[in-house]
Amino acid sequence: MGHDDTNTDTLPARGVSRRGFITTGVTGAIGVAAAAKLAGATTDAQGAAIVKAGEMVAVTLMVNGRQRKMLVEPRWSLLHIVRDHLGLTGTKVGCERGECGACTVLVDGVPRYACMALAVEADGREVTTLEGLMTGEDMGPTQRAFAEEDAFQCGYCTPGQIMAAEGLLRANPSPSLDEIRAGMGGNICRCGAYAHIFKAVAKAADLKRQGR
Amino acid sequence: MMRTFAYVRASSLNDAIRQLGADGACAHSGGTDLVGCLRDGVMSAKTVVSLSGLKELRGMTATVDGGLRIGALTTIAEVAADPIVRQKYAALAEASGVIASPQLRNQGTIGGNLNQRPRCWYFRGDYVCTRKGGDTCYAMDGENQYHAVFGGGACVIVHPSDTAPALVALDASVRTAGPTGERTIPVEKFFVLPEVDVLKETVLEPGEIVTEVVLPAPPAGVKSSYRKVRARQSWDFALVGVALAVSFRPDRRVDRARVVFSGVAPVPWRSAAVEKAITGQRLDARTIGRAAEAAVVGATPLEKNGYKLPMLRGAVEEALGRIGA
Amino acid sequence: MEPTDRYYWDGPAPETPAQSSTPAPWKDTTIVGKPVVRVDAYDRVTGSAIFPSDVVLPDMLHAAVLWCPHGHAMVKHVDTSAAEKMPGVRAVLKDGTPGTNIPWFQSRGFSSRLFDPHCRYEGEEVAAVAADTIYQAWDALRAIKVEYDLLPHVVTEEDAAKTDAPAVRDGGNVPPAGRPYERGDVAAGFASADVVVERTYTTPCELHHPAELHGCVAKWDGSRLTVWESTQGVYAIQNSVAAALNLPLANVRVIGHYMGGGFGSKLSTGKYSIIAALMAKKTGRPVRLFLTREQVALTMGNRPPNTIWLKAGVRRDGTLVALESRSRGTGGAYAGGGSPDFLIRELYLCPNVRCENQDVYINAGPQRPFRAPGHPQGAWALEQMMDELAARLGMDPIELRVKNVPTFSQSRGGNPPYTSTLLKECLVDGAKSFGWTEARKRPPAAGHIKRGVGVAAGMWQGGGGSPPSTAIVKLFADGSANLNMGASDIGCGTKTWAAQIVSEELGVPLDRISIEHADTGTTQFATPSGGSKTVPTESPAIRAAAIQVKEQLMAMAAEQLKVPAADLELRGSEVVSKSEPTKKVAVGAIGGFRSRGVVVGVGYRGPNPSGKVANPFAAQFAEVEVNALTGEIRVVRFLAAHDSGRPMNEKTYQNQVFGGITMGIGFALTETRVMDREHRGKVLTQSLHDYKMPTALDAPADKSVVILDPHDTEVNTTGAKGIGEPATIPTAPAIANAVFHAIGVRLADAPMHPVRVLDALADHAGAKGRKRG
Repeated sequence: MGHDDTNTDTLPARGVSRRGFITTGVTGAIGVAAAAKLAGATTDAQGAAIVKAGEMVAVTLMVNGRQRKMLVEPRWSLLHIVRDHLGLTGTKVGCERGECGACTVLVDGVPRYACMALAVEADGREVTTLEGLMTGEDMGPTQRAFAEEDAFQCGYCTPGQIMAAEGLLRANPSPSLDEIRAGMGGNICRCGAYAHIFKAVAKAADLKRQGR
Repeated sequence: MMRTFAYVRASSLNDAIRQLGADGACAHSGGTDLVGCLRDGVMSAKTVVSLSGLKELRGMTATVDGGLRIGALTTIAEVAADPIVRQKYAALAEASGVIASPQLRNQGTIGGNLNQRPRCWYFRGDYVCTRKGGDTCYAMDGENQYHAVFGGGACVIVHPSDTAPALVALDASVRTAGPTGERTIPVEKFFVLPEVDVLKETVLEPGEIVTEVVLPAPPAGVKSSYRKVRARQSWDFALVGVALAVSFRPDRRVDRARVVFSGVAPVPWRSAAVEKAITGQRLDARTIGRAAEAAVVGATPLEKNGYKLPMLRGAVEEALGRIGA
Repeated sequence: MEPTDRYYWDGPAPETPAQSSTPAPWKDTTIVGKPVVRVDAYDRVTGSAIFPSDVVLPDMLHAAVLWCPHGHAMVKHVDTSAAEKMPGVRAVLKDGTPGTNIPWFQSRGFSSRLFDPHCRYEGEEVAAVAADTIYQAWDALRAIKVEYDLLPHVVTEEDAAKTDAPAVRDGGNVPPAGRPYERGDVAAGFASADVVVERTYTTPCELHHPAELHGCVAKWDGSRLTVWESTQGVYAIQNSVAAALNLPLANVRVIGHYMGGGFGSKLSTGKYSIIAALMAKKTGRPVRLFLTREQVALTMGNRPPNTIWLKAGVRRDGTLVALESRSRGTGGAYAGGGSPDFLIRELYLCPNVRCENQDVYINAGPQRPFRAPGHPQGAWALEQMMDELAARLGMDPIELRVKNVPTFSQSRGGNPPYTSTLLKECLVDGAKSFGWTEARKRPPAAGHIKRGVGVAAGMWQGGGGSPPSTAIVKLFADGSANLNMGASDIGCGTKTWAAQIVSEELGVPLDRISIEHADTGTTQFATPSGGSKTVPTESPAIRAAAIQVKEQLMAMAAEQLKVPAADLELRGSEVVSKSEPTKKVAVGAIGGFRSRGVVVGVGYRGPNPSGKVANPFAAQFAEVEVNALTGEIRVVRFLAAHDSGRPMNEKTYQNQVFGGITMGIGFALTETRVMDREHRGKVLTQSLHDYKMPTALDAPADKSVVILDPHDTEVNTTGAKGIGEPATIPTAPAIANAVFHAIGVRLADAPMHPVRVLDALADHAGAKGRKRG
């Protein structure tokens, strides 16, 4: 039944670590310049990059400090490639319509919903997922704060919550309670751990300020 | 999971216009509304034309006459955080700050916010309603608690944008570019009522896109604000909203006022009645009370949205009380 | 009907053997109850926790289900020919595909089949596709052509109860009502009352919407099936999958190490598990099938909406003398509408009570147990009624409640006493911590932002746990330990407190305890985690297992030290003689232990005390701000006082209470399923924008918990009762009572959307105007 498709060449090799390779230093230093042009696509006479329906296009993303080249269909979401092709399942699927926050990742350091972002639009961008906050097996400060403050219950929305918090703190290292609540306003926690989440974000800010 | 589509990354504004002229082409700026619409089958796209390569459509620049130009691809978050916007165009800063959620504000653009499709649950569901070319407005005699009390007709959507009423209050315009050239359209004239065209929300022609939003220099003594009433404090559209731009004379009487509602009509709804009720007056309790009553004159509530009248009265009262304080 | 909390398990569950020893209750504990960080916190914050939806297997297919888009329809024809030819498509199932004629249990006395052509609600399964990628699966689904005969729909209880209503099921929409609950003489009770109040309350249809979607990954190895499922109970899934596929239980392994929330909706499986297994069998490849958020909204359960008429009579001194209720509810097309009357029968002393419940069927997805089934609905009515009675009597609402606190169960046969109840203390101590008296006395605010405080009490009909439960503790020669239990950790910290118990008894530090759980292939039988019963059910078995390990160690040490075992105790990592403390041996140096390498203890949970009943109790206090101009309500502060027995972990206990409050805020303010009555019988609130769950800006940051421990030595050997359910029962009426305090208007309909606040304020103003006129 059916034809063989051609997608399998983008599947991750087995045994790939669930965590991206972490380079030292600050993300951003590696600098894949956000591409105005889609280098992997053919261009028409006027210079527009064109990908036909159902065809694949090569994109290059810097994911957790590691350059990833892959073929994507234009309709694929960033969430799809992060989970199903790069194997980074820390990023969760919740609604696939930008209404829950479970898929939050940082794109160029800013929190966004990976489900509402086309993978092809992320070409040339830096993408940071939960796995990218780790140093080896050690948690980053935001993760540590969430663990210590018990800022979750089932833990499913937690990766998205942590990425939203991380993005908030990168933009605003010392947020007030009101700023924390507003900054976390794009991530639903059905278990209702919000009060602990607020504490965790404040604690993460402390830990980061102390350089821990 | 979306259906398949072709993808074009426009290399220039002219290129984008050319690509968008093709049958079934849709513009992608932030994608926060487009992706949802494509996923839900509210719209179909043969080709998605990405504007993300058009750097010239990003960012804000002061104009020589004291105004501000905001590139259409500037994100909502950038608008909300901009010091000039916050200082001179409070209504826009406040409106931008209460849109959707932080992540969507980081991704959604000001141009996209003006061009988003309505949130009516019939329109977003698999109903072939008037706005999708069918012959029934299901909300008319259905679950219409979130629908229009002004300006309905063949379709009773409310316009979902928060920035639009703020921009109308601030007397802003949009610059557009299309196959027939560029034009400037006051935001007030940018949206269309169902009686004009039930299939679209704006005056944009095929292939035409918004390139920037232009804010005039704020008049002397003007104060502006945006108040959004919603059921949930994040990630929710306005039940009703009130955008105000009011300039005061030295004697604290209202010199000029622009009052615009969201959440009550298929377009941002400018209330001449409220403007009239306050112009030349001090914003004391009596004037505010009259203005609040004037706000709902002519409203035609549906079966389940009658509450919008007292809510609108209340929001106007509160907003005027605050701006006059 | 006798109250029961056994809804989580359909059919007989095996009883475990009697407990081998009955240890004395703990006095002071060293680690149990302490606010320690979860043992799996690392996994949950780093992504190393693999949830079922994260499972990736070699050569795995991706599946999706095509569902009926109509409120009520009969499938006439399904054409899958185009779909079958599409790229990447490996399996297509529909009614009539060999192997799909599987009966599907819908509710007692009612079955349909896997792809039943009669679709009684939007969302019923019509066909399914498995393909190499999820995008291909959806492309193929869209290529399936289905012809439907549209049938008339009925989606409200009122419409369904009409005599000429379209029939949802053969036999009509109104099943025979159960016998009403009755005690005493209600008419005589009302005749003796000084104040009688009656009112009708309505509650919303709430959707569970756990963060992780419902679904599974299914994989066969010959005749053996493994299912990774997002579930509250792996054994419940094993049971229904084995039954549907006619497999031996031993051949169905269900694994659910992590799961992203359930709230009752994941106590049982859905057709998706069977569909995934069939497709995996057909293709010889593992299949991942997770529903979409919309499908979850349509098919994966809800809290039945109830309309509750309640009449109450009270004497001038505050003695309740009569309560009478009639309620109607709907659990959709297949299930009952729930019984919201438990609290009315049980929470307060009242000699004369009569309660009647009526179910109706509508064309909507079936209900599933939802965090304290029936209780938040009942509390919404009863606790607002108590507030109203207090106002009518000019009595403080806390005083009125305290006056009627029972110490025994009035609605269970024989009126058994509670093993413990601190309901009175929850009210009184809670009020003190909240600053109730001062807050009630505060003069009303001048502006349009009105402040108010309110209280509500509650209890949960379960929460005492029961057998069966088996746990195994292994102590290794280096003093580290492994705990094996079947229970799922659905986010309540089950693994953590379980490890704390092992640590308490054996002195093993938490970071030296590993846990195996929630796997029918490798762990002990357990009923699903739900109904606030996991702690009281599993904790005694875990304690017993640890004690059995300790007793074996003692016996071995006794032999070595030549002292009687009864004279020995475990102090840290040493076994020490109580009478001669110089006689001691390090655990690792016990000869018998070293040669064996491991000591295994098996713990069983004993029965509950006979003639007594164990329930948790609560009182919650809310402070709200109501915008009298716009109808917006903001919850600004919340305090919850709970008697759930001994807390196992203060941190996770508190977190769970906060979670219950947050969920209750959704009930009170924003959550409701809206259906398209006029046109197509569809659900209009399928998205998480239209179905509004509380966000970080809707839940107050200012929340606190007062933990009241009754030191219950009778309930079980750990003194614990459940906390999950009671945490959400009183929340919504506490908010409603605070709203009444703020604006003087009673909102009997939940959620208290601004729409309703404004309507009520307008009515109130109108009534006042009429009175003045």
